[in-house]
Amino acid sequence: MTAARMRYAMVIAAAGIALLFAPAGAFGQEQECPVPERFYAFEPPLTKTAKALAGGREVVIAVLGGASTVGLAAGGPNLAWPARMSSVLAGKFPSARTKVVNLAVARQTAKAAAERFSRDVFPLKPTLVIWETGTMEAVRGTDVDEFRETVQAGINELHTARTEMVLMNMQFSRETDAMIQFGPYLIAMRELADANDVPLFRRHGIMRYWAENDFLDLRSREAEKRRQLAAKLYDCIGHAMADFVTRGVAAAKAASSPGSDR
Amino acid sequence: MSIASSPSAMERDLRIDFFRGLALFCIFIDHLPNNFVAEFTLQSVMFSDAAEVFILISGLTAGLVYGLAMERQGFVIAGVRVYHRVWQLYVAHVFLFMMFIAMVAYTAGALNNSLYAEEFGAANFLDEPGVAVAKALTLQFQPAFMHILPLYIVLLAVLPFVMAGFRSWPRVILFVSFVLWLAVQLDKRIALSVYPGPDGVWPFNPFAWQALFFLGVWLGWRGTAGQVSWLGRRWLFCLALGLSLAGLMIRLNWTLHDFYDPIPVLVSGKLLWMFLSKTDLGLLRFANVLAVALIVARLIHPQARFLVSRVARPFVICGRNSLHIFCLGILLSVLGHLVLNEFFGGIPMQFAVSAAGVAIMISVAALMEWFAAAQGTSRGSALGAPTAGRGVRG
Repeated sequence: MTAARMRYAMVIAAAGIALLFAPAGAFGQEQECPVPERFYAFEPPLTKTAKALAGGREVVIAVLGGASTVGLAAGGPNLAWPARMSSVLAGKFPSARTKVVNLAVARQTAKAAAERFSRDVFPLKPTLVIWETGTMEAVRGTDVDEFRETVQAGINELHTARTEMVLMNMQFSRETDAMIQFGPYLIAMRELADANDVPLFRRHGIMRYWAENDFLDLRSREAEKRRQLAAKLYDCIGHAMADFVTRGVAAAKAASSPGSDR
Repeated sequence: MSIASSPSAMERDLRIDFFRGLALFCIFIDHLPNNFVAEFTLQSVMFSDAAEVFILISGLTAGLVYGLAMERQGFVIAGVRVYHRVWQLYVAHVFLFMMFIAMVAYTAGALNNSLYAEEFGAANFLDEPGVAVAKALTLQFQPAFMHILPLYIVLLAVLPFVMAGFRSWPRVILFVSFVLWLAVQLDKRIALSVYPGPDGVWPFNPFAWQALFFLGVWLGWRGTAGQVSWLGRRWLFCLALGLSLAGLMIRLNWTLHDFYDPIPVLVSGKLLWMFLSKTDLGLLRFANVLAVALIVARLIHPQARFLVSRVARPFVICGRNSLHIFCLGILLSVLGHLVLNEFFGGIPMQFAVSAAGVAIMISVAALMEWFAAAQGTSRGSALGAPTAGRGVRG
């Protein structure tokens, strides 16, 4: 079958590209769910996080988000992507002490999350805040301009508190894409990230890429199988996010010492 | 607009049909998910997109047709004709909603049995079908892609009164319309809420978009009859040209930056966001569509040779049957969603789905034209907003 062969060729090509860009396997995603280079390229560096990691003190990463960050579908927070990211990061930076705090609440709006910055987030003294958002707004059809203003205000607040951040957009699913209009909210988040020089983890695009290339088919009728699929998905996202952060840190190091090799 | 010199305003203005057809194609293409082809529609060369073009042209057409009807047949007959049209649009809206419900019912099982159930569950309207259906009938429930018709319906519903106002105090009406638009820009709370709340609003705020529509109505009614002299002023043309060029440069720069990040952004979007609201028809969107319309009206003759050529024909016939082709485009974009998300296939597939959709739209329009001709009347094509020529005959 040409289609099967083509898909096979694409997998090989993707793996080839992943290898090409992975210096000594440092960033190599476990082949199960590779992330193409275009999702990492051109993202701004994580300067403060790089410094904190090198500094030796405890580095707190706070995560805000919705149900998919809580990890409900997989069965619990220890299988959620922040927990998975945490263990991968611990392996990547063995000399640093990282602590990931998952503050996600299912069905929380961007506005409700932003209101928690001063109350729940800043007391933790985080070096990095990962903000997963946009889902509730797309589901409810919140005014895109209002969403943009809310997130911009949140970015400003984090900026004032001198906390570094990463934005993360929505999940992709074949079932809902024709029902829920994600487009305008995805564009708004991309523009926000771009205009504020904030790294954007494009989960929607990455998950779409996985679905497109048959790395991860999340459809199943059995409840237990679905739970396992969710756990696998969150593991993949956790890995990808850990790579994303590692890349941001590496880029910051490269920028601070222009003479040295990356 | 500045077609006072044309032999008679009664002749069909092909520009209206052509650009409405273009807008219909763009609306369809822009609605496909993650579509590469959408980088080449109207929105990549101006701040406005096909929605503004569609509403402005709808206003112009309504002004042409019902303005004439009001002068010849009186307020009551013209009013009844408007409400007949409103009824057609409403039926179309309900029809589209029916299709949407069918799709939701079909996919709901899959959604509830997915790991997204918790996150996207709030989008499952079948939880309370009674409320959802009733709210759709009152235009308060506007599922994905079903936003323009409700706007068009409410605008047409108040049209007879606005036109009666135009007849007596045109300046006052235009001023009030503009002030209402301005008020929305200053206070976002001037909006209509939608189901399922609590914080949803009409994706096209009627209090803002009315300004574009009614300006179109007035220009369609008075401007075409050569009664708006300042439309022909040279400084206005230069202003429009400058604005359009600025819009083109900035928007194109953003598109290129999206393609390849290292291409620097000339004007940061952050500075312009407040003027680019689609919901509230931000200043730049409003101004850009007017500027481009003025340039088009000045440079292209209503019966320009290009507009009767074979190349323009697909656009013209789709624009002429706009309501049907619009609804068809919405259905096709939903189907296109399903196809693209099931089979993916990258850019070639996106091109294929876009091209297939446009081809179906053209075929159906051609069929309608043929049927109308076969019936020996112009009734068939009157399904779009009636046009000037027909308005006179009818």
